Amino acid sequence: MDPESRKNTKLHMPNDSYFFEKIIPGLLVALGIVTLALILFALGVLFGLVHF
Amino acid sequence: MSINQILPFLSTAIMLGFTVWVLQRYAVRRQPHFLFWGIGLAMFGAGSFAEAYLALSWSKWVFFVWYLFGAALNAAWIGHGTLALLVRKPWVKVVTGVLVVGSLYAGYLMLQVMPKLDTAVFTTDKPISEQYGTKALSAGETAPAGAQTITTTYRGEEVTAVRGLLPLGSPVRLTTPFFNIYGLLTLVGGAIYSAFLFWRKRVMPNRVIGNVLIAAGALAIGSASTLTRLGYGEFLYLGELLSAILMFAGFRFAARPQPDEVPQGVQAAATD
Repeated sequence: MDPESRKNTKLHMPNDSYFFEKIIPGLLVALGIVTLALILFALGVLFGLVHF
Repeated sequence: MSINQILPFLSTAIMLGFTVWVLQRYAVRRQPHFLFWGIGLAMFGAGSFAEAYLALSWSKWVFFVWYLFGAALNAAWIGHGTLALLVRKPWVKVVTGVLVVGSLYAGYLMLQVMPKLDTAVFTTDKPISEQYGTKALSAGETAPAGAQTITTTYRGEEVTAVRGLLPLGSPVRLTTPFFNIYGLLTLVGGAIYSAFLFWRKRVMPNRVIGNVLIAAGALAIGSASTLTRLGYGEFLYLGELLSAILMFAGFRFAARPQPDEVPQGVQAAATD
């Protein structure tokens, strides 16, 4: 691989990559859902709706 | 020593290395987000060490460190580092001031509660996170098997409560959700937002992956803590170790120098 191509693969996502096209967006959505659930749980604790 | 007594020491060692690495970057670059991350990570490490210590023996000042730094403050300080990185506006300095004052106030509240700790309930058989809080039982609710209960007056009513180290209604416990919600929003929200921005622009794959790892690491400890409070404490130490590994890996991944950022001397050496 010439130096310019190597630089581009480090700066840009590879084209047609299943990992970047499917897995990363899926992970971001899943992480967002878990975050939201934890925030709702913490708010529940704060307002006394969840006891522990 | 059981595996559950070894895991927190491993987490502590990783967090120590992580903290030194971040503070070294602050010493070189003088960017405030590295300092906030360093403070938060040092708190995380201190909390892990305190947890490991309390799995073996009791010390009220180690408990002080565990609750204040490990349970209350660390996520907020790490998350504030992410906010300082992403948002370069004057109001961030105001938030820094609020965080400093809030942290000092939480420390003051913790000092106030120290003489009132119910140390007779402490045991090394359970993680500290399963025994720190006194929990009032609702009408009809029964105490878990083996739990010590107490009947006391709380908010003008007689209640039965499962005994814990911190007395019922300790004000310091009310501050914890504020810090943790702020920490969760800024640390995980900031990491997801950054990953999404780089992903949308189709650039810097290392920062996309790094930020996903940071978010996953922060959620690992958040989820493990929540499960512990719901009665599934066996995942806590593993979650803590996983969190330390994922976040360290994420920061290292995201901080990898890009071709344009590599100093000329290094580039020259690499092409020699």
